Amino acid sequence: MEFETGRSPAVQITPRQRWSIAITYLLIVAGFALGVNQRESTLHLASDYSNLEAGISAKYPARWLLEESGSFIFRVRDMARRGFNTVIEVSAAPVGRDTSERNIFDQLTLQRSQVLIDYTVLGYDDYPLADDSLAVSMSYAFVSRDSSPFLEGVSSIVNGLDILTIRRGQALVVSFRADADIYQRELETLRWFVQNLEF
Amino acid sequence: MFRRCCSAILLLLLLAVQGWTQSVTSLDIDRIKRASVFIYQAESVNNDLVITCVSSGTLISADGLIVTNAHSVLPSRQCAGDLLIVSLNVDLSEPPIPKYRAEVFSADEGLDIAILRIARELDGRLIARSELPILPFADIGNSDEVSLDDTLIVAGFPDFGNEAVATTRGTVTAYISEPIGPRPSWFKTRAEIPGAMSGGGAYNSAGLLIGIPTNAPLGGIAATASCRYFADTNRDGLVNASDSCVPTGDFVSTVRPISHARSLIRGARNGLTVNMVSAPAESPLPLNPPRVSRLLFAPSVSDGAPSTVVGSLPNNTKSLFFFFDYDNMTADTVYELRVSRDGIPDAAFSLPPVRWSGGENGLWYIGSREQTWANGAYEFTLLINGASVGSQRIVVGGSAVNKSQFSDIVFGTLDQSGALVGNGSILPLGEIASARFLYANMPLGSSWSAIWYFGGVEVARSANLWSDASHGAKVIRVAPNGGLLPGKYRLELYIEGALSATSDFIVSGRAAGPLPEIFTRLRHVTAVSPSAARRATALSSFPPSIPALYALFDWHLLAAGTPWTLRWLVDDQVFFETTNPWQTVESGADYTVSLANPADGSYKLQLLVNNLKLIEQEVIVGIGQLPIDRLARFEGTILSGKVIDAATGRGIPSVTIVLIGAEYTASEFEWREDQIYDLATTDRNGDFQFPRPLAYDTFYSVVIEADGFIPHAADEFSFSAAQPYADIEIAMVHG
Repeated sequence: MEFETGRSPAVQITPRQRWSIAITYLLIVAGFALGVNQRESTLHLASDYSNLEAGISAKYPARWLLEESGSFIFRVRDMARRGFNTVIEVSAAPVGRDTSERNIFDQLTLQRSQVLIDYTVLGYDDYPLADDSLAVSMSYAFVSRDSSPFLEGVSSIVNGLDILTIRRGQALVVSFRADADIYQRELETLRWFVQNLEF
Repeated sequence: MFRRCCSAILLLLLLAVQGWTQSVTSLDIDRIKRASVFIYQAESVNNDLVITCVSSGTLISADGLIVTNAHSVLPSRQCAGDLLIVSLNVDLSEPPIPKYRAEVFSADEGLDIAILRIARELDGRLIARSELPILPFADIGNSDEVSLDDTLIVAGFPDFGNEAVATTRGTVTAYISEPIGPRPSWFKTRAEIPGAMSGGGAYNSAGLLIGIPTNAPLGGIAATASCRYFADTNRDGLVNASDSCVPTGDFVSTVRPISHARSLIRGARNGLTVNMVSAPAESPLPLNPPRVSRLLFAPSVSDGAPSTVVGSLPNNTKSLFFFFDYDNMTADTVYELRVSRDGIPDAAFSLPPVRWSGGENGLWYIGSREQTWANGAYEFTLLINGASVGSQRIVVGGSAVNKSQFSDIVFGTLDQSGALVGNGSILPLGEIASARFLYANMPLGSSWSAIWYFGGVEVARSANLWSDASHGAKVIRVAPNGGLLPGKYRLELYIEGALSATSDFIVSGRAAGPLPEIFTRLRHVTAVSPSAARRATALSSFPPSIPALYALFDWHLLAAGTPWTLRWLVDDQVFFETTNPWQTVESGADYTVSLANPADGSYKLQLLVNNLKLIEQEVIVGIGQLPIDRLARFEGTILSGKVIDAATGRGIPSVTIVLIGAEYTASEFEWREDQIYDLATTDRNGDFQFPRPLAYDTFYSVVIEADGFIPHAADEFSFSAAQPYADIEIAMVHG
């Protein structure tokens, strides 16, 4: 018995079909690009902040609550976040000629250990700024609890990161805090914030 | 979509609020209960906290000021702890829950009043004042307006933290007066107030705080005292009499009027701390046990002394005072007066065990005005630290008898015309002291005598037969050898050997018009230290935010032991007053007192001896007026509620509710702090409560955004004064 080998005859597509396939691929790529773009703009839908007196301007996520009364220059909080509201706070403090970054971090640690539950410093590192210079950072953790004595408040473990740079005789500290469960994800918002921070 | 959400929320708000309005009454018992706190005093023993004393207390400000008894919070032999733990009412039907630590801001041991300030979380972390949630508190009423038979509502904790806050009703059945101010020193009530409610709040029918129910348990002092054992403090595996006990008293029947706490409260509200820089750090305690002597009765009081001494009083007597001399008393001495009529205890005029408020020695009285004393034979028995130290009898009844009597002694010096001049109770240094007294029904030839004392030692005596008219006024004088020395003098007048009148006066200072010159060169400065203050330039006006205001003065011929008073006022209201025996040399310069971080205001310092104002000076700090406290009165609607998942009906935890102020609507809200009235976050059950009360008849809006749910908003809702509480439910839809 003899077998005949060979290819099945090739399917011929018309030029019109070829164009259709090409356009479909093109639309898919365009749709993906548009989606990515939309995601970026939704993620970083921004409000502007500027403080001439402090010489600071910044962009922060839209619909975050802006606060300017307190021991900071300004603070923004994600009030839609259930649990601990992710917060970015910018503050400044005068420094002396002999003041080091570590002195300032230690001072913050002493103050916070008096008022925050289980405040623990996790480590120190460098942090790149928008102008390619390096700031120093301190990461820490503590437990946050709703302060109302009349409710059964929910406790959260919070991770924080302070980014500190000393310029023109003052220390600028950007403090970022988020629920430990979403901290890594929220760090992207901090990076975007720092990239858009001018001082 | 947004409008539909607004409407839905608004409807829910209205429905919920309607339910609440129906339960509103004029007297808000729930509010009284919410303001009540339970206080543990504890000490650390081998890393364990041992409870040493307990008491009730009342929140009197939104930022955590508490008024309570001093005896249960200040460290003492009886209450040795140094840590104060405050339990709040999270659920009014449940026992309180420990939430915070407090510190004593100021206290008057004698009056048995302490003002505490919540300062730390339960685990010891500091609380910044701005971080403390706004707490429910009681409004303070005017205890001077309380009348007999007025309703009294007492709130507190009837047991050692095992029961929910309770209230009990009664009426004011009697007043008791003592030499601490013109107001009644105590209200008496027959309301059944358990001992653990001491330190709580006594309210009038409008729900205003008018007093502090007070007793002084004798635990640790008297063997018969009630003292509860409820912890294994010695770690022997048993809870028994070998352990430390927590003292409590029997039922409380006395209420300290809140007017006695006003200056302490005012000082605490304005954060005013006075330091008596030149006073000795600690006064030596008396070596001998307390004692009383010279127990006597008088129908009225004249400049702190008996107007006349009586052994009986007629029908319809409405004023009776029991006097006695005392010595070696301290602020932790517990005294008690038991009154019986015809052998039957008379609760109305008895004074249960309370703390001593009169200093180490002097003349004291306990009595009442404008209350009818029924006819009968009364016996007054005085107890100190649970032991009887003396008793005296008086008969009330029968018609008035015109007995011979002396009365109303006043002291002074004679001028050129022979008239008595002076202020009645303080004389400058000199050679001669004169006294004028009234006499009545004095028969010619009756024997009478006058005895003068200086520092408790007889210095002059005269005995004569009466030769004046039967009624009138007479002046007598004394010229001791060596002249009048600085110190305390006493005159006793006798008729036929029986004491008829007695009074005391003080010799101090230099002669200078009607008032002797005792204090001079009163001045105010600001400085960084007391030594710098003595070199600083005196001013009458100071800039705002000074670190300390110092007052300095010189003094002349003021004998040790002479009681003197320092009174400090801000905006014409007393915030600090202390009366102490003078404890330094007779004459000197630069006696210093200081006031830390004074707020803007007009500060007036007064110096007094024997209740006579001798010198005062007023200075201005900042704008010369205290800042307005927007939270001084707790007025408005408490808005609370629950956020639920519309699909399941379960509460949603950790949702933030934004309450927008009257100037903006939800659609105008731009997520700026200045647009927000307040924020609240739901707890694990979805419950929330706004810390600040909402002003009546003011429009508010609410915005809620929570991950995983469609945003919600409600515009322009308001509450009237008839709605002190509002409860809302908000259903969130997944989206």
